Amino acid sequence: MTSPQIELEHVDKHYGHFHALKDINLEIGKGRFVALVGPSGCGKSTLLRSLAGLESITGGIMKIAGETMNGVPPRRRDVAMVFQSYALYPHMTVKENLTYSMRLKRKSREERDKAAKEVAEITGLGNLLDRYPRELSGGQRQRVAMGRAIIRHPKAFLFDEPLSNLDAALRVHMRKEIRALHDRLGATSVYVTHDQVEAMTMADHVVVMREGVIEQAGAPLDLYDHPANRFVAGFIGSPAMNFVEATTTEAGDAVVLEGFDGAVLPLGIKLAPGRRVVAGLRPEHLLLGAPDKSAIRIGVGVVEFTGAASYLSSAGEPELTVFHAGRTEVRPGEAVGLTIAPQHVHLFDPETGRRVEG
Amino acid sequence: MARFIRSVRDARGLYAALVWLALGYLLVFSAFPLVYNIVISLQTVDLFSLASFDRPFVGLQNYRDVLSDPVAGTVLWNTIRFVVLSLVFQLAIGFGLALFFQQDFPGATYLRGLFLAGWIMPALVVGAVWSWILAGDFGVLNYVLRTLGITERNIFWLSDPDVSLYSVIIANIWLGIPFNMILLSVGLAAIPRDIYEAAELDGAGAWQRFFTITLPLMRAPLGAVVSLGTIFTLQQFDLFAALTQGGPSNASNVAQYWSWQLSFQTYQISYGSVVSVLMIVFVVAVAAVYTRSTRHEQSY
Repeated sequence: MTSPQIELEHVDKHYGHFHALKDINLEIGKGRFVALVGPSGCGKSTLLRSLAGLESITGGIMKIAGETMNGVPPRRRDVAMVFQSYALYPHMTVKENLTYSMRLKRKSREERDKAAKEVAEITGLGNLLDRYPRELSGGQRQRVAMGRAIIRHPKAFLFDEPLSNLDAALRVHMRKEIRALHDRLGATSVYVTHDQVEAMTMADHVVVMREGVIEQAGAPLDLYDHPANRFVAGFIGSPAMNFVEATTTEAGDAVVLEGFDGAVLPLGIKLAPGRRVVAGLRPEHLLLGAPDKSAIRIGVGVVEFTGAASYLSSAGEPELTVFHAGRTEVRPGEAVGLTIAPQHVHLFDPETGRRVEG
Repeated sequence: MARFIRSVRDARGLYAALVWLALGYLLVFSAFPLVYNIVISLQTVDLFSLASFDRPFVGLQNYRDVLSDPVAGTVLWNTIRFVVLSLVFQLAIGFGLALFFQQDFPGATYLRGLFLAGWIMPALVVGAVWSWILAGDFGVLNYVLRTLGITERNIFWLSDPDVSLYSVIIANIWLGIPFNMILLSVGLAAIPRDIYEAAELDGAGAWQRFFTITLPLMRAPLGAVVSLGTIFTLQQFDLFAALTQGGPSNASNVAQYWSWQLSFQTYQISYGSVVSVLMIVFVVAVAAVYTRSTRHEQSY
């Protein structure tokens, strides 16, 4: 077990009457890559900025490398941040941007040049050192912002949606690059994003937040397989999970869906009879079949093809989305059957939204 | 005719018309007076020959006469002091206030807006108010200075040759501060906040942030304010008219006021033109610096 590099205990943050962070508890081990993910306004950026010291917390304890950081100004925290806008110094060349922190520490020119060269090598900026930020492409600016963080060998890297200003292809590429850099440097990283795919693919620990609360934290696939509540279930996975209201049967080992002519889905578990629940069915777990031999029958509304996969939406309410790998002959207006394996049926409490277990 | 109307409606004719309007305006109201002024400075002009274009050409004789005038040296030195001191203090105080109001405190924008009040007032009115404040016998400034024990006797701000220029400078600084502050505030507001945050995380303290981030990024606005301030200061006429009339005995006289005196009080119109031509040359140089400095504006 590695020692925790970042510890948050009962952290609270208020903006006037607005409670932005509510009793946040989080431990981040050394060398971990943690993603904070959630819809905008969920507090993930506030949490990151609090770690950097750009915002002050109003309650709780915040430790970095074992030292309490409450009230410590950003420049004494030894953390580096990569901003969404990159926040490069526009009047400095790439090299000056990279070595700004070293110049503040009055490091010699030789030391600075050497460090700049090393970092430029790692980030692929070798021949751009004398350029100004305005002469660089978005991806290159992104690398300078990373290099500026790397050159400091900080206790933690903080990323604030660093890829959202890049185009889709570059974003996918930089995803891998950032993760590779993290591994190579043995760094501790906290990565804020609203894109759950980014969080799932990059992080080894994902923290899902909503309205200032941590809804669930865990390994990416754990979150996918065992979402703790309806919010996490809907947030993780793309396309999003389908939700259908349902009631357990008298035996308690199956649910009757509302709509779909009272389709019955067997469960792998046993619940109290007649209990109202919300069934969560991931689009990729719904399998196409013949209408008369399947649990659920739907009329097809829309069929979309991406080439590699097909997406079907049902015509009626509640709407179901189905992900089908490959192509399908099914056309709008036809009826199809859907089946789902019992272990893939997620159940949530309609009031609290919490996961229902057997 | 129909074709003309169509060309205006299609905007191509409209653009041409707008260009010619602007060009015509510049020719009639800027270029012609400028050239005419230069011509006059090379001729002998008196009240009798004022109405005709046919005047004796004397080459640079007027320039020799003006520059050898014993008053010229005083006026030049006064003008330099007036421009430099006004600029330095307007800029320093204006920048200081701009930085101050950039801080987040309640009422910051409202208070900053109040500073514009001084800018709205005509310079002649400002001059009249300052002539009361600076009055030797009953002025508020003398009263304050004596009450605080800073001076023992009244200072005759406007009639003492040693201080009269400084009186005008003080009034001019007051008048120029809002302009400096507003322009520099705009420049400061354009610097993205996250650049400061990045610098803070990189380890920069408040002073280091000012000298390594704010100052270099404010180069263009500062250049603009210095050049425009120089031009405005060289235009400052009303305060002299209201406060000292260049006196006593030219102790507070500056080029722009002297040029007016020569042209319209003693009717040595050629001499007045000479002074204004010399000023134009200087202002053109400043304007060139200004255009260059705006070309270097940063994009974020």
